[in-house]
Amino acid sequence: MLVPGPAPLEYEIVELFTQFRNPLLRYVSALGLPIADGEEVVQEVFLALFQHLRQGKPRTNLKGWVFRVGHNLALKQRMRNGRREKLYGSDVANSEHLAPEPNPEQLFAGSRRREKLLAVIKELPETDRCCLYLRAEGLRYRQIADVLDISLGGVSEMLGRTLARLSKVEEY
Amino acid sequence: MWNEDGHLSDAQLVAIADWEITGREARRLEGHLTACWHCRSRRAELERTIGDYVRAHCSESERAPSMDEPRARLLAKLVELSAAAPAAPRPAPPNHRLGRVAYGSAAACLVLGIGLVLYFSVLRAGATPIPDGHLTPGATRIVTKEDLCSSQDFKSFYPIPARVAFSVFEKYQIQDPRPRSYEVDYLITPALGGAEDIRNLWPQPYASGEWNAHVKDALEDHLRDLVCTDQIDLEVAQRDLASNWINAYRKYFKTTRPLPDHVAFSVDPPWEH
Repeated sequence: MLVPGPAPLEYEIVELFTQFRNPLLRYVSALGLPIADGEEVVQEVFLALFQHLRQGKPRTNLKGWVFRVGHNLALKQRMRNGRREKLYGSDVANSEHLAPEPNPEQLFAGSRRREKLLAVIKELPETDRCCLYLRAEGLRYRQIADVLDISLGGVSEMLGRTLARLSKVEEY
Repeated sequence: MWNEDGHLSDAQLVAIADWEITGREARRLEGHLTACWHCRSRRAELERTIGDYVRAHCSESERAPSMDEPRARLLAKLVELSAAAPAAPRPAPPNHRLGRVAYGSAAACLVLGIGLVLYFSVLRAGATPIPDGHLTPGATRIVTKEDLCSSQDFKSFYPIPARVAFSVFEKYQIQDPRPRSYEVDYLITPALGGAEDIRNLWPQPYASGEWNAHVKDALEDHLRDLVCTDQIDLEVAQRDLASNWINAYRKYFKTTRPLPDHVAFSVDPPWEH
């Protein structure tokens, strides 16, 4: 080891990447990005995090920071993709998403409820959906409020409303 | 916020389950829950829904692509960023004593910076499937598409002399490379006009995750087919290989991960000396 003292920043960023890459990739994919675009967004987030920490900016709530920047970059990329689709037509068929593909096991009874749950989630307002995804990735209400720029009470209301809708799925 | 029947709202029940309500308010709501079958039953329903959703969510997460290549790519970019723009030192205060401290800190930063670059050079060696752009920017020779495409023995020419291979390992600070672990590879393959030049060579590890030397060989073959059937220009193929061959693979094979047939595909021989 050539470097004395504390772990270098690059090493720390790679550690954070290892910790948060999959949750963040899942989240930006859930926002509608193909995996390849999602991977690029995740790379951008961690390069931005490197600059952020290198400039001595606050280290508090790095998880919230990573998701907030990822959320904003993903929305920008989605907008760019939308414009490109308008100009050149959709290549959605060629792009791979993280969306689940049914396999034989999932075609059994249990998967019907799962499919219904996913169908209801798809119909939710986008902020409600983001709220649910972020909570599923382990973010606390305060962090979700920061990412989505809404109030703490708003997060609580949205999650309550969403889970209430999902709990009715079997009655559909 | 209580609902019309004097029960807890769904939002309150979810927030209690998430430990988002604390202190006196939490005790008050827990007190209600202890006494109220309706609210406890509703909370159990919501918890079950969370469980169902989490299972659906987890089944999606199992399909996330491997982390090896993106992590290696990030590390390479971080090293590049560090080398290109080292963190700006703070201006020294006009006080001599403080100035000496500042100079001392700057010197320590410099030593640390050099250490970092060396450390990551070593870390980078043999660890990333993409070559260092400074050490291996790629180089081409003057040749026409017709010349390249008329050659029938394109798969067997340009063996790399042992002394050149050793120079490449040395340049990447790899000591005693394990035989058959690397392919000393042309960044731009000679079959597409790449030059026999050390700037166009790097030690590509076979064991660098899924984006290994076998996969690049498959891409090179595919690009040659595309060039020779006039589907893309030779310059485009060369540029795509030199800038980021993994992105090129994704683009031309329309996939985010290497195709199973390509993982074991091999044209070029491994380094064995």
